Amino acid sequence: MRKHKTDRFIKVLLLCSGLLFSAGCLRGCTSSRPPIHVNPNMDQQPKHIPQSSSEFFYDGAAMRTPVEGTIARGTVIDNPAFTTGIGQDGGFVDSPIQVDETVLARGQDRYEIYCTPCHGETGDGQSMLQDRTGVQSADLLQERLRSMPDGQIFDVITHGFGLMSSYAYPLSPMDRWSVVAYVRQLQAQGQLPQLQGTPEETETEQPAPLENQ
Amino acid sequence: MQGRQYWRSIERLLESPAIKEMLSDEFPEGASDPPRDLDRRSLFKLLGASMALAGLASCRRPEEKIVPYVNAPEGIIPGIPKQYATTMPWGTTALGVVVESHEGRPTKVEGNEMHPTTQGAASLWMQASILSLYDPDRSRNVLRRLAEEEESEAEQRPQEDSEEEEEPDTDIERPQLIRSNWDEFEAFWEEESARLEQQGGQGLAVLSRHYSSPSMARMMNRFRQRFPDSLWVAYDPAGESNILSALGSPETVIQPHYLFQRADTILALDCDFLLTEGDAVAAARGFSLGRNPEEGSSSQDESSESIGSGSSKMNRLYVIESTVSLTGANADHRLAVQSRNIPAIVERLAALVKNPSSREGELTGEIDERIRTIAHDLRNSDAPLVLAGRRQPTRVHAQILEINQVLGAIGKTVLLNSNPDARFGTVQDLSRLTDAMRRGDIQTLAILGPNPVYTAPADLDFKTAMQRIPAIIHLGSHVDETAIHSHWHLPEAHFLESWGDARAADGTVSIIQPLIAPLFSGRSVLDLLILMAEGPGRQAYDVVRETFGEGAWEKALHDGVVASQSSAGDPTSPEPVEATALPGESVVQPEAAPVVSPEGLEIVFSVDPSVYDGSFANNGWLQELPDPITKITWDNAALLSPSTGEDLEVENGDILRLELEGRHLEAPAWIVPGQAHGTVGLALGYGRTRGGFIAEGVGVDAYSLRTSRWPDVAGGLKVTKTGGRYRPAQTQEHWVMEGRPLVREGSLSQYRQHPGFASEPEEHLKAQPLWEAPEMTGQYQWGMTIDLNKCIGCNACIVACQSENNIPIVGRDQVRNSREMHWLRVDRYFTGPPESPEFVFQPVPCMHCENAPCEQVCPVAATVHDNEGINAMVYNRCIGTRYCSNNCPYKVRRFNFFNYTNSFPEIVKLSMNPDVTVRSRGVMEKCTYCIQRINEAKLKASQQDRAVQDGEIQTACQQSCPAQAIAFGDVSDSQTRVSTEKGSPRNYTLLAELYNQPRTSYLAKIRNPNPEWPESSEA
Repeated sequence: MRKHKTDRFIKVLLLCSGLLFSAGCLRGCTSSRPPIHVNPNMDQQPKHIPQSSSEFFYDGAAMRTPVEGTIARGTVIDNPAFTTGIGQDGGFVDSPIQVDETVLARGQDRYEIYCTPCHGETGDGQSMLQDRTGVQSADLLQERLRSMPDGQIFDVITHGFGLMSSYAYPLSPMDRWSVVAYVRQLQAQGQLPQLQGTPEETETEQPAPLENQ
Repeated sequence: MQGRQYWRSIERLLESPAIKEMLSDEFPEGASDPPRDLDRRSLFKLLGASMALAGLASCRRPEEKIVPYVNAPEGIIPGIPKQYATTMPWGTTALGVVVESHEGRPTKVEGNEMHPTTQGAASLWMQASILSLYDPDRSRNVLRRLAEEEESEAEQRPQEDSEEEEEPDTDIERPQLIRSNWDEFEAFWEEESARLEQQGGQGLAVLSRHYSSPSMARMMNRFRQRFPDSLWVAYDPAGESNILSALGSPETVIQPHYLFQRADTILALDCDFLLTEGDAVAAARGFSLGRNPEEGSSSQDESSESIGSGSSKMNRLYVIESTVSLTGANADHRLAVQSRNIPAIVERLAALVKNPSSREGELTGEIDERIRTIAHDLRNSDAPLVLAGRRQPTRVHAQILEINQVLGAIGKTVLLNSNPDARFGTVQDLSRLTDAMRRGDIQTLAILGPNPVYTAPADLDFKTAMQRIPAIIHLGSHVDETAIHSHWHLPEAHFLESWGDARAADGTVSIIQPLIAPLFSGRSVLDLLILMAEGPGRQAYDVVRETFGEGAWEKALHDGVVASQSSAGDPTSPEPVEATALPGESVVQPEAAPVVSPEGLEIVFSVDPSVYDGSFANNGWLQELPDPITKITWDNAALLSPSTGEDLEVENGDILRLELEGRHLEAPAWIVPGQAHGTVGLALGYGRTRGGFIAEGVGVDAYSLRTSRWPDVAGGLKVTKTGGRYRPAQTQEHWVMEGRPLVREGSLSQYRQHPGFASEPEEHLKAQPLWEAPEMTGQYQWGMTIDLNKCIGCNACIVACQSENNIPIVGRDQVRNSREMHWLRVDRYFTGPPESPEFVFQPVPCMHCENAPCEQVCPVAATVHDNEGINAMVYNRCIGTRYCSNNCPYKVRRFNFFNYTNSFPEIVKLSMNPDVTVRSRGVMEKCTYCIQRINEAKLKASQQDRAVQDGEIQTACQQSCPAQAIAFGDVSDSQTRVSTEKGSPRNYTLLAELYNQPRTSYLAKIRNPNPEWPESSEA
């Protein structure tokens, strides 16, 4: 009688440890299935947040491109020299903006985010891109670029050139002109320009939100 | 309060036992019951919901993909919406809109503050058009009727060849439509047009809507050149052809434009100018600006300059009408008169205006005395304005013009603009078309937009007239009643998907720019007209650009208004018309305006205040929107006055058989206080047999009783009770606040003598808080005022809130159970005798009490106060006890009894505002003061290192309000508009005795009655 009870106890113990063992085994395993999520808690809602997918459209993207030719509120209008860098005569224009410290600070800020990876901090083309891949990008300090009209640099940022893609989507026209101004300063000094104050300080002076440009 | 008694329904006034029993429960019967007698709609929704639950049973998080832009468009930052100005065509006028776009998807329609027809406000139809864009039942493909030889072949082919969306149909008459494409149609049209061109267009007819568009007018001329002998008819069941026929002709259109802001005495005859007629948004704005009870204050509104000088005067509105319209509900003096008697009144008025001592004519007694008083007031007014509604015949409008001339209103409060780009037609034109169709004169009929099988007068029998025509082309947004009898059905693009232009009644020209590429390869009327007039090649964009030329194109798109230039021949400058040059009464042929039979009851057809003429019937927001007067949702009803109801021994919900000229219709009865004795009112736009899942089978089809002789008002109606009963889903008795002075009002003279009448009742209160007040230390303290004097009760705020805050619709059955989800309701109170009551509207959102009773009872702190005074909901914490709703004295909390949103088709998800949580089942929700807008403005201000400016944040309801009744802002700053309004002596809070300290307060309503008004002898 007693023996029978012990057997049963051992069996249960074995079963439990077996379960524990296999659970431990599963813990370390990877699974291609998404994690267990018991309480839905409105984590997924029937709406489209940015960059979500939609089965409705043939390309699966819920983000749509605006119809060509439409103009949103807040877009700079009736100033083609400012938005394209090309004047009425078809030639490139000089920078249409008044360059001051806030513009340069904004230009430096944008330059360091979007341009430094390829063109380097000083604009000499010595960059992370070259270090890692050996691909040489343009030296912004070379004579050809120094003599280039402002509008042409603006045009390259807008449409891209060679391997470089367009930077129109993250940089508003005002930001692009600020970058042009900053590049001009790099060219003039041939080294890191000495701005008054640290970038952090100057940044707060002129926030210039992107969507307003 | 001034001894006035307010009541919400006849049953309440008479204290019927049923309603007493109902009111003894705080929540209406059924509000906590499981669903019974599921209608089709709710059943499908529940099925969808339960299927979604089954999907969740796997307990795994669904996989989500990140899909970025491949070529990111310039200027779009994901997560930051952009605004585009465009235009919504609206009959012979146009509404300027600004549309919010999230990553290229339009999600919200607002008014365009630069466009004079909207001035930043938005009607409920403008708001709801966004849902129509994402309507899952929209027509998706070009459809073609099988030729006879193909038809026998098709019978052997499997079913999937036929149109997928079509259910198998038992209608044998209906020919089979198969899926086709635009190339096939273009090939067909090339062949057809070549043949027609040789005949000079003989045998070709076009049926269009009314329109007002420079590019349409240009293409129309080109079409005329190509097909000189073709027939063009414009038809719009809700059009203003009676008014336009009195002023001009379809070839030379002259439109009236009313300056309500300047008017100080207004008489509206059967005219709902505040909601359903003309430029209603601008009219409501002008009317409310001209209704300022504060003494000596100048008009504070910046938009006044576009209308004219502001006035600190308080206007007076007289309304003479049969069924209760929203305008009538806002009148200072309202006369309930049958519509068919209004021509006689206008005649009498014309005589009195010319000669005040003219002797009595047909009218006698009390009514004549009142007309004399009105005429006297109009004659003594500096800026009088008389207008009649579109159901009144042409000769009435000719007389109205004359009256306005005699009163000197032309040029002062009424402007007449010639509109070279508009086109309208009358019912007679439509009947000429059907005659030609019956004679076999028409071989090709192109229907560009309208749905004549549904909307044409019943005696024209458009459907059978179509049978003789070998080629019918139908362009429409849905596969509707007309589409299934056509040879070609073409999907119509929504205005948010197409290029075009439009001219408003005041002469403002604006461009329609698309917000998104057509979702279902649809094309606009202009697109199709270009194809028909020129053949394939040019797009609508090219034509519109050609119309306006190079100059200021970008600015016109950006602003949403084409700047007016003075140069001759410019398409944008309106031409004012001299009143003397008008044809006046001479144009009106007597036979064109047959006198309505005085026998029997009168039936009055009106445009529905929610689904309009039926074109919005498949829009769930509008179907669920309570009618402003009857508060019925999801249905129309035969509206009767209490005395007519007594005569016929009819109660609310009795099914009536309406018989008119051999046609009959069964409709539920509804008693409306204030309705004229002997008038039966019936709204158009319901009873669709085809046109979408939501539209079909809702209400009764009033068009089936309309005849071409009397399309708007008809006599000789016979009404019998069938014995059946029907209970429409009605929100009138929902969320009541029993017997307390909730609406406060006074007359202008009372207010001048005793300004504090509204707030004084609160002063004696010495209430103490029951619990510790939360600390409100935030930089801003948000608050709201709602001016009952300005509110016209139009419901635009409800739809705005629904659109902004992702509020679901629940279906008729759930509304019957009082489960409607609207965060904002508009209460409607009657006061006075049931035959001639006065009306008060009161929008009630969450009050955002500082000592909120709801917060005290929530066991999980799901509703808490923030430090800026907002009573916030934390949806994720909510476990659905509904204690908060029980403890809310204002009854503004809404509970998700079901997962109303889980069964959304993918396309409806596109319409959701990404900035607002879509709530799930078991969660309480309520007005948040549009907290997403507050946070957006606060973020932007902190980015720019400044404080939020007054007026920078507009709640959705405030922004849409045509009457500017709602003010929102920081109450801790005494300079803000909301603080100024809270300082008014008219300011009061609801249920102040409870010491809830609501942040939302009301300004009392002021009426401006004529002291010389003869009191009713009955009273």
